Amino acid sequence: MLEIIKGGLHTTVQDMGRQGGQCLGIPPSGAQDGFALRIANLLVGNPPGGPLIIRDDPGAAGLEITMAGLKVRAGSDLLVATTGADLGATVDGTPIPRWQAFMLRRGQQLAFGMAASGARAYLAIHGGIDVPPYLGSRATHVRGRFGGFKGRALLAGDILPIGRAGSASETLAGRRLRPELVPSYGREHQVRVVRGPEAHLFKAESETAFYATAWKLNPRSDRTGMRFIGPELGFRPGRPSYLNEEAGADPSNIVIDPGAPVGTIQVPSGVEPIVLGVDAPSVGGYARIGVVISTDMSIIGQIQPLQHAFFVQISHDDAVTALKRQEALISQSSLVS
Amino acid sequence: MIYQKPIFRTMADTALNIEFGDETNIPLNFKILALDSAIAANPPSGLLETNPQVRTLGIVYNPLVTTRPNLISALSDLIESLGKIVKLPSRKVIIPALYDDPWSRECAAAFGVRDNMEYIAEFNHMTPAQVIEAHTACDYWVTGVGFVPGAFMSYAMDPRRRIGAPLYRTPRSWTPARLLNFGGTTSTIYPIRVPGGGQLFGRTPINIFEPEQRNAIFKDSPVFAKAGDRHRYVSISRDEYNDIRAEVEAGTYEYQVSEDLLDCAEYIAWLESLGEPAEKRDPGSSWLTE
Repeated sequence: MLEIIKGGLHTTVQDMGRQGGQCLGIPPSGAQDGFALRIANLLVGNPPGGPLIIRDDPGAAGLEITMAGLKVRAGSDLLVATTGADLGATVDGTPIPRWQAFMLRRGQQLAFGMAASGARAYLAIHGGIDVPPYLGSRATHVRGRFGGFKGRALLAGDILPIGRAGSASETLAGRRLRPELVPSYGREHQVRVVRGPEAHLFKAESETAFYATAWKLNPRSDRTGMRFIGPELGFRPGRPSYLNEEAGADPSNIVIDPGAPVGTIQVPSGVEPIVLGVDAPSVGGYARIGVVISTDMSIIGQIQPLQHAFFVQISHDDAVTALKRQEALISQSSLVS
Repeated sequence: MIYQKPIFRTMADTALNIEFGDETNIPLNFKILALDSAIAANPPSGLLETNPQVRTLGIVYNPLVTTRPNLISALSDLIESLGKIVKLPSRKVIIPALYDDPWSRECAAAFGVRDNMEYIAEFNHMTPAQVIEAHTACDYWVTGVGFVPGAFMSYAMDPRRRIGAPLYRTPRSWTPARLLNFGGTTSTIYPIRVPGGGQLFGRTPINIFEPEQRNAIFKDSPVFAKAGDRHRYVSISRDEYNDIRAEVEAGTYEYQVSEDLLDCAEYIAWLESLGEPAEKRDPGSSWLTE
């Protein structure tokens, strides 16, 4: 088992999320940076699960540690790995490498500090965190109060059960992700986007500005939505008058419509585009200028508040190519001993 | 307006939307629900989820299994094969509600806005009693389920009874669970404690989302509402509210649901007899659809 000594800012149990919830209002949830969690699981010999949304199985559950402060104690010898953001993790005070499996011995404390780079770190444990699955997944959805550990963020004193360890787990210690594959999280991020279903409703110069702006992440962002501060975007004139009653008086209002499960970029009233995250609503009523490609939801998850991001428009076909390239990396051949 | 042909909207690499129009329109929703059933009976390869809403059917698919053109071709064939929609499965559901309730009033006061029921009444040139009468006088058609877990969108099936009120300009940071509310002419219920901007006017004692799945009605899903349901609200007293709530909490409440079919052709003919236009048009509009 794993004992939580300090829950940190916001730490939750996550796997690769639930499927089939779009028609029920149930979001996929799961890791906001799926790449990092899946590599962490691979390193410790767990099933990594399939990609966000379209996965065949949700993989093993680990912890998503947001920005700072988790401290845990091992109740037995555990094979673990941390990936994602650099939160200056230490074991009994000694820094440990990221993107590498190691043994956390019984009684040892693993502590995370403040984020030096990136925003979300992941901790995978051989055997996985063995909370009961809910609707096919162990992912926590805090707002709905279900999944994960008691449907909430972790608190001091929580005891997490760990699934049965295989006998060979110790031999996996020391494995790491090939250095050339380790992502680096800078201060400025690039997020790839496919043109959105209502992009044609924005003024041409506003759509141009959207792709030319260094957008600053509003600290009021979370797994439901990441808000970006920048110039106001305008809408074309000539809106049908009946939409005032049907959808609302603001030109950004549309009659409610399904979102993609994740990644749609809504622009309410033309200010502060919101990228919908893994805990986002299944429908929306605001014009969407673009949709973040599924692969880059990982990058969205690693932007710190007040850091900047550029949106880069790509084609649908290039988005599929990016997904295929990512899937090829989720493999034992990406690891070295 | 209703488009000549549905538009396939790209939602990056794992989703697409099939958009039938830009307006709220119950007969349009019949087509979407019929297409959703046709897909369920004959799912194209690689299709993972559907999300039917009032004017659009959302599709989630695996681009590692199929391609967007192949999927669109299979979905176009299904749309072609739909034909005239005669009947749809549609449950009849009774929802008891305490109108003009203390929780709605307290919530409005906590956010420094005026009593929402008074506002709704004024907006519709009615008294609060007339608002309750209108809201209980006809069935509400559930066009889609979603937003937060268990939430749904529904619209008065009798256009003469249609009432509503605009959303708050600044949404609240919380709303108690199970409050009835209007966002425009959309009538819905908050399933859980959530932020929101709907105008609050009542509270139901019944759960419409039950993650613990205690009551038998939640055996297969924690979500109560289904697209295509007909909801009929019944006004209850505070004592009845308390009694029903106690049964709901004990897991013994018997939900009032009956399986049924809606004769869509008859409903559409009835709308026409009332002089309802089949779609909304604005000849002065220059907005493009793509």
